[in-house]
Amino acid sequence: MSAFQHPLGTNRFFVLNTGRTTMQAISMESETKWSTRYFNSVAILEMNPEDAKELGVKDRAKVTSDYGSVVLPVKISKRLPRGEIFIPMGPWANFLIGPDTDGTGMPTLKGIKVRVEATTEQPTTLEQLLKQLGAKGLEVYMEDLEVKPGEKKVVENVVCSFCGDLCDHLKIELDGNRIIRNVGGCAISVSKFLNYHRHRVLKPYIRKNGRLIPVDLEEALDKAADILVKAKYPLIFGLSSTCVEANEYAIELAEILNGVVDNTSVFCHGPTALAVQEVGAVRYTFAVAIHLADLVIFWGCNPAEAHPNHIARIVMRKGKYVKGRKERKVVVIDVRKTPTAELADLYIQLEPGRDLEFITALRMAIRDLEIEAPKVAGVPREKVLELAEMMKSARYGVIFFGLGVTMTGAKYRNIVGVIRLVQELNEWTKFGLLPMRGHFNVAGANEVSLWITCYPFATDYARKFSRMAIGVTSATDLLASGDVDALLVIASDPVAHFPRKAVENISKIPVIVVDAKWSLTTAFADVIIPAGFVGIECSGSAYRMDGVPLRMKKVVDPPSGVLCDVDILKKLIDKVKARMGLGR
Amino acid sequence: MTQILIKNGIVFDPINGINGEVMDIAIKNGKIVESTEIDESKAMIIDARGKVVMAGGIDIHSHIAGPKVNVGRLLRPEDHYLTNKPHVLPHRRAETGLTVPNVFRFGYEYARMGYTFVVEPATPPIKTRHTHEELNAIPIIDKAAFVLVDSNWIALDLISEASTELLAAYFAWLLSSTKTLALKLVDPGSDVAWLIKGKGIDLDDQIPGYDLTPRDIIREIGNASQLLRLPHKMHVHCNRLGYPGNYLTTLKTMDIVREIKRVDDGPALHITHVQFTGYKGDSWTTLRSGGEDIAEAMSRNPYVSLDLGQVIPGRPATTMTADAPFEFVLYHLTRWKWASADTEVETAAGIVPYVYRKRNYVNTIQWVIGLEVALISRDPWRIIPTTDHPNAGPFTDYPKMFAWLLSKKAREDDMRDMSQLALKRSALPSINTEFTLYDLAVMTRAAPAKLLGLEKRKGHLGVGADADVAIYDIDPREVEISKNYKKLIQAFKRTWLVIKDGVIVVKEGEVVKTIYGRTYYAEPVIPSDLEKEVKRVLEKKFKEYYSITLDSFIINEEEIRNPVKIKISTQLTR
Repeated sequence: MSAFQHPLGTNRFFVLNTGRTTMQAISMESETKWSTRYFNSVAILEMNPEDAKELGVKDRAKVTSDYGSVVLPVKISKRLPRGEIFIPMGPWANFLIGPDTDGTGMPTLKGIKVRVEATTEQPTTLEQLLKQLGAKGLEVYMEDLEVKPGEKKVVENVVCSFCGDLCDHLKIELDGNRIIRNVGGCAISVSKFLNYHRHRVLKPYIRKNGRLIPVDLEEALDKAADILVKAKYPLIFGLSSTCVEANEYAIELAEILNGVVDNTSVFCHGPTALAVQEVGAVRYTFAVAIHLADLVIFWGCNPAEAHPNHIARIVMRKGKYVKGRKERKVVVIDVRKTPTAELADLYIQLEPGRDLEFITALRMAIRDLEIEAPKVAGVPREKVLELAEMMKSARYGVIFFGLGVTMTGAKYRNIVGVIRLVQELNEWTKFGLLPMRGHFNVAGANEVSLWITCYPFATDYARKFSRMAIGVTSATDLLASGDVDALLVIASDPVAHFPRKAVENISKIPVIVVDAKWSLTTAFADVIIPAGFVGIECSGSAYRMDGVPLRMKKVVDPPSGVLCDVDILKKLIDKVKARMGLGR
Repeated sequence: MTQILIKNGIVFDPINGINGEVMDIAIKNGKIVESTEIDESKAMIIDARGKVVMAGGIDIHSHIAGPKVNVGRLLRPEDHYLTNKPHVLPHRRAETGLTVPNVFRFGYEYARMGYTFVVEPATPPIKTRHTHEELNAIPIIDKAAFVLVDSNWIALDLISEASTELLAAYFAWLLSSTKTLALKLVDPGSDVAWLIKGKGIDLDDQIPGYDLTPRDIIREIGNASQLLRLPHKMHVHCNRLGYPGNYLTTLKTMDIVREIKRVDDGPALHITHVQFTGYKGDSWTTLRSGGEDIAEAMSRNPYVSLDLGQVIPGRPATTMTADAPFEFVLYHLTRWKWASADTEVETAAGIVPYVYRKRNYVNTIQWVIGLEVALISRDPWRIIPTTDHPNAGPFTDYPKMFAWLLSKKAREDDMRDMSQLALKRSALPSINTEFTLYDLAVMTRAAPAKLLGLEKRKGHLGVGADADVAIYDIDPREVEISKNYKKLIQAFKRTWLVIKDGVIVVKEGEVVKTIYGRTYYAEPVIPSDLEKEVKRVLEKKFKEYYSITLDSFIINEEEIRNPVKIKISTQLTR
């Protein structure tokens, strides 16, 4: 019997799922993860009303996994089936997550077994969490960049630097260096652009005797270079929220240092890349879906919240052969009834972690093999057959899939199954599959890594050439097992997203953070280098989730004395090379 | 800037009519100069006595960059595992990969073979920024890319509805906006059929949604390329590639030049990797070489050039092409991995790993076809040796291919391991032709330079040419290449010395310095009224068809590392 068979009654285990929400993103983009707004959006537990009633939970509950325990405010939600709880991605959720990646590089971020109980304790604060994780200090020196009214102008066709949809139709209105309007962007995009100047890192810092001391850029870079050169096996991590050019330099730096470089895809669509290595891929770009797709399936993803313009740009838009939403069928497959599911013509609710069974049943149905079980992954056989028939009879079917498929149950085996399913559907009709990429340039991080190293992420240079041994050279595994002795983070926040054990090890090694805003990782940093925002203050290239490369525009200058990631990395490479006697 | 004097080398420089003369080559400021311009006391003197000196090699068709290549890298981790070469910093970055290597191996291996210019022959317009980002990252060599146009909805609309002038103006805009050098047609029209119906089409089939056939597309793009006076008019991968009996489609395609209104003398059409479209017979078991027929057609038709797509038996390949329907068919033969990418309203692509086996009947026939075409037509100015890397074999095996072209013994030695039945059914075993080193210099330097319209600065060693020079450690006066072809392979695999833009980059077969070459692209000049009209059309079509803005589509010069714009004065402004 599966661990996910009915949870209540006998053992009182719940299934915890974590994921993005619109408010998590908006609060993070506008006010950083140190804000009350972020706490209110992320430190929250959603549960079914009947479960809450049965447990006697009113406004807060204590959640305990094998790895940790947190107290969270509770939001009652009918979206969730009984026996499941949801916590938005962030440090509270990750406190409950185990370090084991099952050799896939991907921790189990969904479908985690937890206990939930009513409590009178106060909700766990961010400071309490960070202290438990071994933060080197809790002070942050957030500054708002001074914005002065001045020349009024409008920049057209700006590319949004939030998610993997890379909307390139934004109209940004400026008054001096203040962004006053963002036309065309979603709520998250608006929040990112209009608040770009707030809560910034505007000075370099070095941690001395446990306290962050402002220093000049040269000193910070020297200290960073010293840390990197001294390390035997440094890890460079992040890179999905910066440009292609910065990725190229970051990999060069890892090569010079004989270290290891990984990007955040390791725990989003890393499993997708692993599956492609094994069986291939059947992809399409957006316009193909717009003009031809009469069946659109969203599987384990929630674009209505995580990629808010996606549905308008693709599903609703009128194409040459398919005239908009009315001529398309929309199917949503998910474990909870997300806002995206509410837009669907057909919603299929899966039991958590059982995607592979469902995929297998679909592949059988498509081959007209008999499915004996009356229910598969909680879905009645008739519904499986109905979906299989819809797929076979579509003119051009497309699947957008998310972390609900890559992170759960069989992880990359799920994706191997979905890819095989789509390959087989091409015997009947045209069908394609596209991962919903999260960070705006996470797809680009994979592309750059491939052309320089031949591997999409988790590339190791310990032997002076590139190797990828997933589960060994992947960031979560390297950190959780304490294999690396220094960490350079570029435009990412591993402390907010890595499992507890990995973060505890981050507290034990020297850490350099290059970022535009105060991430939680800054609490673990020994050197902080301020950076400009790619797509707002810095130009550069980025890849949309379908592999379409776009040029990110610069709409305002970076703050005085603050460099773009590319220039920071170039300087760092020069300093490292000089220390290693490699010259330029 | 360094001055270099290469003394007493045995020079093969067909553009300047030099055939194995012992002479000096002088280099100053990255260019070839008169020896008198060099101050010998300051110059670096290279003693090339007993060594062959040629201009840097030019590869007109090799998939070295872009979305297909990168998917190939992702798809094939097993391609990389045993191929690593550690970095030697700061001179050389780490190399990895065989059929789909990393950017550094591409640049370094070409340089080690004495090649200094390579064309990526198929880039989907909307993803050409990606192609350039990889080209930018490839060290040493110069580069260019051909842009895919045959299944482009805007082009097809214009062919259906508008004048040849407007179509030409669109292509001018496309070349200049994507920073590419020439137009590429892949299984013309088939990606429209693939997107809509999941299948490919033949030369005279109707394209779904249009009252057009692939023949119409080839002719009309041919006419537009004449109006633009493009140096390389159109680069065509024929319909029905990979199917038995397709040599007839190839012959018919070659004949289309007679329907094109030619304004320029040179070739009006380049058939690429002809081996894949030279199949006679009606099934895999009755497969025969169409090499003789194609060679004969070449001799009758002066307006066609071609490259071989020579199969390298005993080697793995990663087939990758915009011929998406064919890759789907190939996937059914291999049943292993298949990657496919339907790309906007422009094109599609497929990628399937494959292995060419020596004893396999079909693979032997494929090997025969390429060599028969070259050896029977004996026209090195119009027949370029390529392996369509990585489709028919890795480019690193070029020296092997050269040996087959220059030595009957090389062919015979390898034939022993191949399918005897296939050989019995082929003319190749009885062909005695052996090309010379001069011919090789034509096929790998002079001819591709001319076909690309770059013969003023590339492919030769005359005064004013770019100082891209390869010196091979082989003395044709002492080594009889025909008998001792292994020496040839050795010499051409690891060039003794390579100079790129006046900088020594390879010494004794090893890369000693990482520098970056240039990227060439065409900018045909069109009249301003036509330019305005095409912009009007594009603004409307982009809103209707594309998922990105027109603004996002255009690649700026700042995005290219060392761009070289080739301004072309067109028929339209005359």
